Amino acid sequence: MAILEIENLQKTFGVGELAVNALQDIHFSLSVGELTALLGPSGSGKTTLLLCISLIHEPTSGTIVFDGETIYKNGWTGTDLRRLRREKIGFVFQTPNLIPFLTVRENVLFPQELLGVTGKKAEDRAKELLDYMEVSHRSNYLPALLSGGEQQRVAVARALANRPKLILADEPTAALDTERGMKVMALLKKIAHEYNTAVITVTHDVRMIEGFDHVYQLKDGKQDYTTTH
Amino acid sequence: MDLALRDIVHHKGKFVATIIGVGLLFAVVLSMNGIYRGFIFEGLSTIQVTSPDLWVVERYRGGPFNEQSTIPDFFHYSIEAIEGVAKASPFIFYGVERMVQGKRKRFTIIGYDVFGGLGGPQKLTAGRHIRQAHYEMVAHEKLKFRLGDTIPLGLHSYTVVGLFNDGTAPDGEPLVYLSLPDAQEILYLRDTEEIRNQRERLLKTLTEPGRMLPEQAQKYISLLETNTHMVNAHLVKLSPGANLDEVARRIEQSLYFSVYSNQQQIDLMTQGRLAMPRKQLLMFRIILLVVSVVIISLVIYTFTMEKIRSIAVMKLIGAPNRVIIRLVLEQALLMTAGSYLVGLIVIHNTYQFFPRLVRLTAFDDVVTFCIALIGALIASALGIVQALKTEPALALGGN
Repeated sequence: MAILEIENLQKTFGVGELAVNALQDIHFSLSVGELTALLGPSGSGKTTLLLCISLIHEPTSGTIVFDGETIYKNGWTGTDLRRLRREKIGFVFQTPNLIPFLTVRENVLFPQELLGVTGKKAEDRAKELLDYMEVSHRSNYLPALLSGGEQQRVAVARALANRPKLILADEPTAALDTERGMKVMALLKKIAHEYNTAVITVTHDVRMIEGFDHVYQLKDGKQDYTTTH
Repeated sequence: MDLALRDIVHHKGKFVATIIGVGLLFAVVLSMNGIYRGFIFEGLSTIQVTSPDLWVVERYRGGPFNEQSTIPDFFHYSIEAIEGVAKASPFIFYGVERMVQGKRKRFTIIGYDVFGGLGGPQKLTAGRHIRQAHYEMVAHEKLKFRLGDTIPLGLHSYTVVGLFNDGTAPDGEPLVYLSLPDAQEILYLRDTEEIRNQRERLLKTLTEPGRMLPEQAQKYISLLETNTHMVNAHLVKLSPGANLDEVARRIEQSLYFSVYSNQQQIDLMTQGRLAMPRKQLLMFRIILLVVSVVIISLVIYTFTMEKIRSIAVMKLIGAPNRVIIRLVLEQALLMTAGSYLVGLIVIHNTYQFFPRLVRLTAFDDVVTFCIALIGALIASALGIVQALKTEPALALGGN
């Protein structure tokens, strides 16, 4: 079942002579439990595509169908987009971007609270995820006291807190050494399969995408090639 | 989950330091309010404490506080004879500086008719009122005299028989009450050597060739000496039902004096002697308040800007605007309230150490807090606008 379908997506910044086509004619679809990698050099449009899929940048044209809903149609507002993000999308960033003044446990509780899930139910979910990420012994620590790898695992736990249908990972291994990077990628693969979640990862490093279901190479805002396993 | 409190706990050192710093600034603002109020209170204190129905002073003078006024003391008989006047009493008022108990002290002497006259001290905190015509005094507690102390002033010493704590001179000096003749003597009489010298100088002038014979000159010397029977004002108490304006008009017309009601006396001071320094203090007070509001606004804005990346992350993961608004607003309010509380505690525990009266009022405290709060709300509004404008993409490391 396709969780995400993108058709003829275009994104242009600026107008007239200053117009820059950041994305042109992008097509792809993704099903639950699948892993997709977006590859490409700097400026190829990877992050712009991720921002469009994240519902942060509205595409200039084309359609995004997410979990059966056509985004930006029928008068969608920022509030609708934010609701969709907190309900159905999990984010993992280049740097962990944990909220520095919340403990590890609170960082995982926070997205649940945004959905109105509190109390024992939220605590149990946080514990389950932190156990799964093997960082539960750091539950009451502030993020600054954790290593880079631990922080990134907490970030993944936070991304999973709301049982998202899609995880967007923007170069999640960029700030880690190869060994830790491999571990994070292995974790994302495990999550995709065990939690039945679709994962899109932006990366520079082709070594990290072994076992991915789809690989999209972008070049100057266009799909250069697509590999599907 | 209270994000504002979590952030405060996380940055508690910085938060406490900021609150103490801004709190001390608020203490200065509040002390300035108190100094301003104290200045006006002290400026009008003697008028308020004395509080007769009418003040009779030298013609065309705004005395005795706003301007010098000198009139003979016996006129209270004439004033008392005017219809509508129940009582009239002489009143003398002047500042002195003397070595007392080994220390140089400044105070203001009030001389009044101690036998039932107007203008004496109101509430005593210790001892009794003056009962003798001479050599007794009632002093302000600020002078740190004790009951029974003998204080040398001029040619004589005066025993402290009573103490009080309400009422100071317009320049903040403590008051000392004496009987009218004692006060006049201290003001006008010189010591024996000085009197002898003055007499010799007068005699020499009067007996210059072509003027008087020494026997004739001797007769005039006493007339030319300083007249000690002068006062600064006469205080009037009206008969029940008497019309204040009518009685004032009668005194002005028949005795050729200027007459002011107590309220007019207050207005003279407020618009005269106190006006310029009052404006000066008011200006300083306003500037200080503006500076404080600007500083707390900057602090709040900076605190918000420091969290902008976390705010971007929150927006990216779908936090609604109200979560972000609450974070900024709650922190702004906590910081303002905390700083203000520190300032309030500091000033309410230190104001008594100021050399002059610092008069703290609940009204000023509340108004200052409201102004600070408005500044904080404006600053947090700026912070909120900035936070809401923050691109969630910032969390991804750029567009």
